[in-house]
Amino acid sequence: MAVTALGSTEVVRPSVRKRKLEDERWLAFVLLLPTAILLGLFIAYPFFEGVLLSLSSARVGAPGEFVWFKNFEKLWHDNIFWTAVWNTFWYTGVTTVFKLGLGLWLALLLNRHFRGKAIVRAFILLPFIIPTVLSTFAWKWMFDPTFSVINWSLFKLGLISARINWLGDADLAMASIMVVNIWRGIPFFAISLLAGLQTISPELNEAAAIDGARPWNRFWYVTWPLLLPVTMVVMLFSVIQTFADFQLVYVMTGGGPANATHLFATYAYQIGIVSGLLSEGAAVSLAMFPFLFIIVVAQLLYIRRVEVR
Amino acid sequence: MANTKRRSVIKLAGSAAAVASTGMAGILASGRTPAFAQQKTVHWLRWVDFVPASDQLMRKELMPQAEKELGIKINYETVNGNDLQPRATAAIQSGSGPDLIQAFNNNTYIYANSVVDLTDLAEEVGKREGGLYKYCRSMCSDGKMFMAMPWAVIGGMIAYRKSWFDEVGATSFPKTWVEYREVAKKLKAKGRPIGQTLGHTFGDAPTFTYPYLWSWGGKEVDADGKTVVINSKETVESVKFMQGFWKDGCDEGGLAWDDTNNNRAFLSQTISATLNGASIYIETLRKPDQYQTEKGTPMNKDILHSPLPAGPAGQFGMHLNQSDMLMKYSKNQDAAKEFLKWIHAEKNFEKWFISQKGFATPPTAKWETHKVWDEDPVMAPYKVAAKLGQTPGFAGLPNQKAAEALSKYIITDMYAKAVQGMPAEDAVKWAEGELKKIYAA
Amino acid sequence: MIEGALWRRWILNYLPLILFVIVLLFPFYWMIITTFRPDGELYRPWNAANNMPFWTNKPTLEHIIYLFEETNFARWMFNTMFIAGVSTLISLFCGVLAGYALARLNFPWAGSLGTLIFITYLVPQTLLFIPLAEIIRDFRLGDTPWSLILTYPTFLIPFCTWLMMGYFKAIPKELEECARIDGASRWKAMLYIIIPVAVPGILSSGIIAFTLSWNEFIYALVFLSSPDQKTVAVGVTSELIRGDVFFWGALMAGALLGSIPVAIVYSFFVEHYVSGLTGSVKG
Repeated sequence: MAVTALGSTEVVRPSVRKRKLEDERWLAFVLLLPTAILLGLFIAYPFFEGVLLSLSSARVGAPGEFVWFKNFEKLWHDNIFWTAVWNTFWYTGVTTVFKLGLGLWLALLLNRHFRGKAIVRAFILLPFIIPTVLSTFAWKWMFDPTFSVINWSLFKLGLISARINWLGDADLAMASIMVVNIWRGIPFFAISLLAGLQTISPELNEAAAIDGARPWNRFWYVTWPLLLPVTMVVMLFSVIQTFADFQLVYVMTGGGPANATHLFATYAYQIGIVSGLLSEGAAVSLAMFPFLFIIVVAQLLYIRRVEVR
Repeated sequence: MANTKRRSVIKLAGSAAAVASTGMAGILASGRTPAFAQQKTVHWLRWVDFVPASDQLMRKELMPQAEKELGIKINYETVNGNDLQPRATAAIQSGSGPDLIQAFNNNTYIYANSVVDLTDLAEEVGKREGGLYKYCRSMCSDGKMFMAMPWAVIGGMIAYRKSWFDEVGATSFPKTWVEYREVAKKLKAKGRPIGQTLGHTFGDAPTFTYPYLWSWGGKEVDADGKTVVINSKETVESVKFMQGFWKDGCDEGGLAWDDTNNNRAFLSQTISATLNGASIYIETLRKPDQYQTEKGTPMNKDILHSPLPAGPAGQFGMHLNQSDMLMKYSKNQDAAKEFLKWIHAEKNFEKWFISQKGFATPPTAKWETHKVWDEDPVMAPYKVAAKLGQTPGFAGLPNQKAAEALSKYIITDMYAKAVQGMPAEDAVKWAEGELKKIYAA
Repeated sequence: MIEGALWRRWILNYLPLILFVIVLLFPFYWMIITTFRPDGELYRPWNAANNMPFWTNKPTLEHIIYLFEETNFARWMFNTMFIAGVSTLISLFCGVLAGYALARLNFPWAGSLGTLIFITYLVPQTLLFIPLAEIIRDFRLGDTPWSLILTYPTFLIPFCTWLMMGYFKAIPKELEECARIDGASRWKAMLYIIIPVAVPGILSSGIIAFTLSWNEFIYALVFLSSPDQKTVAVGVTSELIRGDVFFWGALMAGALLGSIPVAIVYSFFVEHYVSGLTGSVKG
């Protein structure tokens, strides 16, 4: 009713400006304007500057000259860079699989009725809320070679007889970092997927159950296809975040031991900021872009396909 | 029709722009106040001092006094030592930020293009105070200009547990690496290994690995500062020895340590010795009840300091050098310089020096005879830290290339790779490749 | 039979759920214990005989007192809230409008514009922060909350826009058409019909956006310098990690106090949040 009333005032007093807004193109233009201004100013321009930087020989305080792709050529022959590339893929891949699997499981568990549901749902978000730097310090301490509470627990449970050198061993250090990332990511996946689960009408499942479908089949043929769109969007954002992760490695290992845990972002920081080779650091950062771009385009295309279906 | 459409859009865009611009103006206005006030303000960025009393002294006493005597305002800001570099980089690139920024080691060379020459001040202080140490001089000056004013050196010495060393028969601290390894072996057998980081951390890792390398006769580059000579018999020897030393005598957790881990490990009595600033000892002095030995006596009575042992090529040390850079973009260079002069005046600097209790060694010879060093014999080895230091990039200069190699942890990683199982020759070859890339460019 | 069902329910539902809760919340328990643990106990190696990692007999408030008396913690909390709040509002404003335009209006290049906005989300922060520092200087925003309030939307807007596109797409076209037939203008239909329907979606993107800005570290570290302008993440790390010592107790207290208030706020929103995301998949 209110709509009708509002609409009729509109008909009575049409103004030129408002009539223009009736045109979808102008309306779209107006609506997109604030976004365009902010992103243009704070992303497009700095991005352009960043690209220029990566093509120069700039160091801190010295603009350098235009050197085309020399920095990228140097990266091509840089074995630490390739370690970082490999690490980033490995890190993103493994953590995404775990975050998705465990997050989905948790979402399914939370999608049932039980006492204290609201509280559990709220508190489970905690790892996602706490500033990453600070939670990572807590984890760093839990993995500390001298004070590790994890070692203590495993020892008391009789699972180990000597301490595990969590952050001192190249592979274990990577694994430790992945654990922290997964811990941080599960709540986001779980809550988002829970939201997806709740849209699925229970009748569908009941109907399938009446048709004699077993629980696993019900999940696989009824729930999962319906959940797929939301899953893809959540994964998309998670992959981007994980791929460009910085804080976690910066705090836990600083890329050590012996560069075993460098990711794109930490290596870019190491070169660009700590060594002062701005242009090379920008090149490392920028090198992340095509990789990320391919992953994301693949995911976007997949999402389109899923949505069409 | 199309015409009116376009015009109205222009109007719309115009009004949107107007809104945006007034919004921006409002923001500008709010940002403007500090910018104007800054003209009389000197902004000094330093690390958060390990000795809290020193920051207290700066904030509560020295800064107000300077403000009064110099008629300026001082913004004394402290950040975690690791975060100085991103701040400096962003400030230099954007041409605005603190007027004075603290630099570690030879980072001064990284920022050489963006700082004001402080030769006058450095030479004046040096002349007045019995001469600048060569170590501090070469960290801050390339011979043409002083890129920063030497502030102090945080000495790195081995802190060790006297009674534990006595128990394994080492009544005096081992003189050579070979002896040290023997002692370490016995100590580790008793569950009291040596603690040493080989991780990516700016303090304790390079201050161990560089002098260690030199003491075996290994060098990054030749005296010409160009030819990479790391791949030598001596270096390989040192790496091989390190592999054994690590296995026989060190806490293997050290690969993951940052600058803080060895402090905690020492204080919790899981290691018998570690290379560090005096911070461990100072902490035990501050809280004698909390840190006790296994026999229940205060731990501070059981700690002694010693320089690193000697190798076939001699005995070396490298210490965390701190200096203050006066930034070129600063609009208050005169005021900042005045302030630096003021804080380096003996009577002012002395207050700070005393508050450090020997944690920091001043850059000039005069302070060697200061009474601070007599108060506590345990601190005495730190007295000459700055005097005996060797700069990274040896036998070349500690220039920008050397700073780059240092910042990439190449020497540290060479040893870390080796103790993780890479053959010594390969680890050295890897370091050679990395160094060549830096020195060739 | 019923007994069997209960037993099954425990194994399949409750037990895993309890495990999840324990693992996810253990670090917080660890922070709480550390916050109240006296320093003396913090220096016990993992294999010490008297090590009691999960309990302390001598709880102390000294770390919390230190946090509030010796640091600007309360001020940092306020700054973080303010910055995260305002940048979230700005991002939501932009994101809702842009999301609406991209999802529900027909205009040339709508698809490519959407992709373009999304791509901005991919630009790594490590690349941007140096050039951004120059812009911050040009606008004289350095060391003011506005330096973050205006830069955080760069990663929040793409995110909000895309989430909102999802929600708007899910709202049936008919709803709008009905209003238009009744004579409402496009503008009014958007403002009074579609956006209210999308409120849960707005809330949930708001929550995520708030969390992302709450978390941010690099920009906050680089663009702010005065101690009383800093955010929690930067303030706590720069004041409580000094030289070569961590102030573990106070550090953990800061981490904990820096997240609990948000958690409480979220607990009110979480049901909305869940139903909000629900909207994005409908239809």
